Amino acid sequence: MSSKPVSVKSVASASSGRSEASPAVGLPIIPGRKSTVSSATVGRYMVLTAFLFYCVLPAAWIIAAMTKDNGQIFTTFGLWFSYPFHVFENLSGLVTYQDWIFVRWFGNSLIYAGSISFGSTLICALGGYAFSKYEFPGKQFLFNFILGTIMVPSTALVLPLFLMLNKIGLVNTMWGVILPSLVNPFGLYLMKVFWDSSLPNELIEASRLEGANELQIFWRIGIPLMQTGLVTVALLGFVGAWNNFFLPLIVLSEQKLYPLTLGLNVWNSVSSGAGGKPIYNLIAMGSLVSVLPLLIAFVVLGKYWRGGLTAGATKG
Amino acid sequence: MRRYRKTAFLFLAPFLVVFLAFYLAPVCYALYLSLFVRKRIGIGPPKEVFGGLANYIRAVQDTDFLNGLKNMFVFGVVQVPIMLGLAILLALLLHQSRGFFMKVCRTAFFMPYGIPTAIGAMVWGYLYSANLSPFNQILRALHEGTIDFLSPAIVLFSIANIVTWTWTGYNMITLFAALQNIPQDLYEAARVDGAKTWDIVRRIQIPLLLPTLKILFIFSVIGTSQLFTEAFVLRPLGYLADNITPNLYLYLTAARDANYSYAGALAILLALLIFVISGPFLRRVASR
Repeated sequence: MSSKPVSVKSVASASSGRSEASPAVGLPIIPGRKSTVSSATVGRYMVLTAFLFYCVLPAAWIIAAMTKDNGQIFTTFGLWFSYPFHVFENLSGLVTYQDWIFVRWFGNSLIYAGSISFGSTLICALGGYAFSKYEFPGKQFLFNFILGTIMVPSTALVLPLFLMLNKIGLVNTMWGVILPSLVNPFGLYLMKVFWDSSLPNELIEASRLEGANELQIFWRIGIPLMQTGLVTVALLGFVGAWNNFFLPLIVLSEQKLYPLTLGLNVWNSVSSGAGGKPIYNLIAMGSLVSVLPLLIAFVVLGKYWRGGLTAGATKG
Repeated sequence: MRRYRKTAFLFLAPFLVVFLAFYLAPVCYALYLSLFVRKRIGIGPPKEVFGGLANYIRAVQDTDFLNGLKNMFVFGVVQVPIMLGLAILLALLLHQSRGFFMKVCRTAFFMPYGIPTAIGAMVWGYLYSANLSPFNQILRALHEGTIDFLSPAIVLFSIANIVTWTWTGYNMITLFAALQNIPQDLYEAARVDGAKTWDIVRRIQIPLLLPTLKILFIFSVIGTSQLFTEAFVLRPLGYLADNITPNLYLYLTAARDANYSYAGALAILLALLIFVISGPFLRRVASR
């Protein structure tokens, strides 16, 4: 049995490592009551399978719609393929429609998510370091205050933010989306937690005695120890920015600056509105392409993702 | 350590700058704006004049706003418990499972959370929509009547379903992580004492999940109060009232009616309400 202590961050790896190695882990299987156990097992699998179908239902619709032209989307069963496949027509249609606007949206999303993720991770790493490694008056109050702002509804912020951005000329610019998104109270909290556990205070003291200055300690000694924390916060920042809808909706008016979420929603409104030309096949294709980077990140970096989210609720 | 105060401040400065500029300043600005009302004086366009608490007085009597709050309340007492109950059930079942199927489930359950809300809601919109819905295709084939998922009577449930679909997996993963943190000795001790599966669930797992569950409940309530994207995306597909969620009403007040001062007052009232509801919970959780 693996004796590795299970920290929240290593939940993913720990649980997968355990699964085959130690059947004794988890709930006990009561010997001599095989029949009840197996009926419970059947029930368990049925519930899990049912929920599995529920989770993939929208994905199934998208994948089925991807194979159809727009007419077939209305006339054939929504959750099954149509043959011959129209996948490649849909893909080229998606890319070239309205002067390659989808490619532009995709690029915009990459710019938004990339810069927001990088910027907010850096800012939170610095700020989290201050909260973790230094003492200063009002520290606890300030930390609680910043965390408390998570409760403010986004509309409460974004509407006055729009008026402010309007005054300084940032409305309908990329900066108008990027700069406000750099504020990430939850990222700051995560960074503090990661600094607490990744960089021992003794190491800082020792480095000071060696003559390193504070920035050198942060950059040369601290940052290399923080890989998990940095990847987690950067990933959550990327996903949050990639999925953002409300802020760009308010700030941007020009379609050329839209991220994917907003762009697809325009197509949706046009397709569903009166007199519009329906392009549900392109929307389905576009939805799939939009979530593809997330799915890849999800499979490759899944443990950071889960670890970061669960840290918020399981670490007091 | 006194001598590092300045260093600490320098490390904190970048965060504080963006926080002040793009977080605190807008809130203060909203507070300031909310004290003005638009009035038409004589002939000519209406002007913004100081109105004290007039906007707030109007807001607490605004049936549209109150209707949104009522829907939010219904969400809080119906959707949130269903979602969290489902999350507990799935976390417990997954905790008992091993191997490949368990990993597939864990990934698939969590996946909706990673999908942009706007896109998830849009595709659910097609699953609901009158001329695309596969559910209605099945019902039609069976010669049963069709269901209009986006009709005023049902649409709140349809939105609740999207939220449940998106967030159950997230809640489940968090509870699952908390389950993994329960020390093995507890199970072994219980087994020695002859505890059955149900006893272990009731006496060990549920009580130890309670702190995590409380936080998830608060997160869910906060999330409920911010409900916007789902309703906004579904609007082109069917009839959705402007006042279905407080946030949609707020958005339309500002973006369509350009009444920023009133929207500011609504936003502040909403934020206050959330503080009042979740503040005591959070304090208790933080002090544990």
